[in-house]
Amino acid sequence: MAQLQLSDLRKSFGTVQVIKGLNLDIADGEFVVFVGPSGCGKSTTLRMIAGLEDATAGVIALDGRDVTRTRPADRSIAMVFQSYALFPHMTVADNIGFGLQLRKEDRATITKRVAEVAETLQLTPLLARYPRELSGGQRQRVAIGRAIIRNPKVFLFDEPLSNLDAALRVQMRLEIARLHQRLGATMVYVTHDQVEAMTLADRIVVFNDGRIEQVGTPMDLYEHPANRFVAGFIGAPAMNFLPVRVTGGRLEVPGTEPTPVPPGKEAATELGVRPEHLAVLASSTADLVGEVELIERLGAETYAYVRVPGLPSDLTIRLPGETEIRPRSSIGLKIDWTRAKWFDASGKVL
Amino acid sequence: MEQHNRFWRIALLSLPLAVFGLFVVWPLFSSFYYSFTNWNGFDPDYSFVGFDNFAKIATDRLFLQAAINTTIWMVAAIVLPTALGLMLALLLDSRVTGARVFKSIFYLPICLSAVIVGQIWTWIYQPDWGLLNTIIAQVSGEKFKYAWLAKPDSALWSVIVAWSWQQTGLSMVIYLAGLTAIPGDLLEVCEIEGASPWQRFRRVVLPLLAPSTVVVIALSVINSLKGFDILYIMTGGGPFNSSDTLAMHMYNESFKKYLMGYGSAISVVLFLIALAIIGLYFRQLRKVDRIYG
Repeated sequence: MAQLQLSDLRKSFGTVQVIKGLNLDIADGEFVVFVGPSGCGKSTTLRMIAGLEDATAGVIALDGRDVTRTRPADRSIAMVFQSYALFPHMTVADNIGFGLQLRKEDRATITKRVAEVAETLQLTPLLARYPRELSGGQRQRVAIGRAIIRNPKVFLFDEPLSNLDAALRVQMRLEIARLHQRLGATMVYVTHDQVEAMTLADRIVVFNDGRIEQVGTPMDLYEHPANRFVAGFIGAPAMNFLPVRVTGGRLEVPGTEPTPVPPGKEAATELGVRPEHLAVLASSTADLVGEVELIERLGAETYAYVRVPGLPSDLTIRLPGETEIRPRSSIGLKIDWTRAKWFDASGKVL
Repeated sequence: MEQHNRFWRIALLSLPLAVFGLFVVWPLFSSFYYSFTNWNGFDPDYSFVGFDNFAKIATDRLFLQAAINTTIWMVAAIVLPTALGLMLALLLDSRVTGARVFKSIFYLPICLSAVIVGQIWTWIYQPDWGLLNTIIAQVSGEKFKYAWLAKPDSALWSVIVAWSWQQTGLSMVIYLAGLTAIPGDLLEVCEIEGASPWQRFRRVVLPLLAPSTVVVIALSVINSLKGFDILYIMTGGGPFNSSDTLAMHMYNESFKKYLMGYGSAISVVLFLIALAIIGLYFRQLRKVDRIYG
């Protein structure tokens, strides 16, 4: 049972502050995913929780106990690395049992525990192999085995699936989700892949530039992003951003007729529309008219990239798999105004 | 095109192969040949003596002495520089101030030829004014005149110390490279799992240095087998054959006593010993290969 609490956590490397005061409460048994672009501080934060990096300031508390200065080994955490970090000179069994061997558990106990863990991860036939005789997915399962054998309070995952190919990534994602269901342990998971974040998380923490931009459930972040950064980061394909101008009570979107400003949106400088909130219509009743630049067919759905005169970048629209739309054709687009997001100059949602 | 390539391949290989044949293969087979003769090294007349030379080896007291010395020499010349090199590498790998300066200093002796190293250490061991005895005398406050290289008890070990002083730098450099190749996250796993410094060294760092150890030991074996010049300079195998090695014994029999046939027989035995060591080494290498690729 483990609650994790970060209070005003800070980290500097020399004069460069990389973590700028984090506050976060993680509930017992919760699966929390840290997402953000490279260099946003998500991995550094995870490593501070692990104790591999010292916090410059602030407090990390585990079940109310301050562990900020506690050795990693005494924090009751386990960590799974992107590189798997398996010992190449040890068999699968020795890799999984490494922690127990260090603590000089008797041999029978170690063998029994390793067998149990191997069984749950379907590693039993591989126990005598060396890591280099395993596939990427098998290696990562061994790394997870080494983590779960210790019954830690908190599991930390540092981009564990980044080195796997796409198909295996989906499979391992499901295995990790199942593992969380079965163990009910607190898990903190770092990724830059927002699909992993959306599918695995109870709550997502969006990082940017050493700060937390927003914390919420996946759908919460998707439907109600707090700012332009979160709106643009969560969701694939990404949200479309259209520059807008408010002059004399009227709203101008390039390529559209000026309309009255909706109440409360007077400060808007940008409009955000998700690809699925743009409907294709006959040109006469459309909000925007443009030419299809490119079509991407994914089978179940199709993405169209549409060039609209006056807009700085193409608009992405999401269409059903079977669509009549062809490249170079002219189409009209209708914005679902009820789902559109308005951003002010600072990027905040209005 | 294929024909053309083959011509150049053979043409370019022929020179090194000719050199290798002339200076390695030919002498090797000549030794085998002469080991069955009583040739004295210059006389055109000699006769075949069958296995007489090898029978003589079996009863040669000096050969036995040389074989024992060679064993001591090889074990010490492998173990000491390897262990010392590893210790220095571990010390200098952590962020000690001036580590780079120390690395250079410890590496320097390897740049000297064995003849120069032998000469330097002969001076250090000099009984009357050598550095070692001077320091001992200063520290103990009494006169100290021990002749390190002239006493059968200490001659061989004194050379081994000089040899280790020279070779340690090489092992250190190879181990330093090996240490940088250990992935940082493996050491972090040790931290998270709570390994003590000794457990980390014994169970993770040392096994992960196995590829470096293979190289260090290979070089030590090769260098120690070749370690003739430093013994020749410092003791010449003496006193009373106390630092005589097989290579030295072979040299003395062949070129000092003009028993080229007998010397060749000794060299054949030495060759077979080297072959056995290399065979063992390759077997070990395959094991390391399975793990590290």
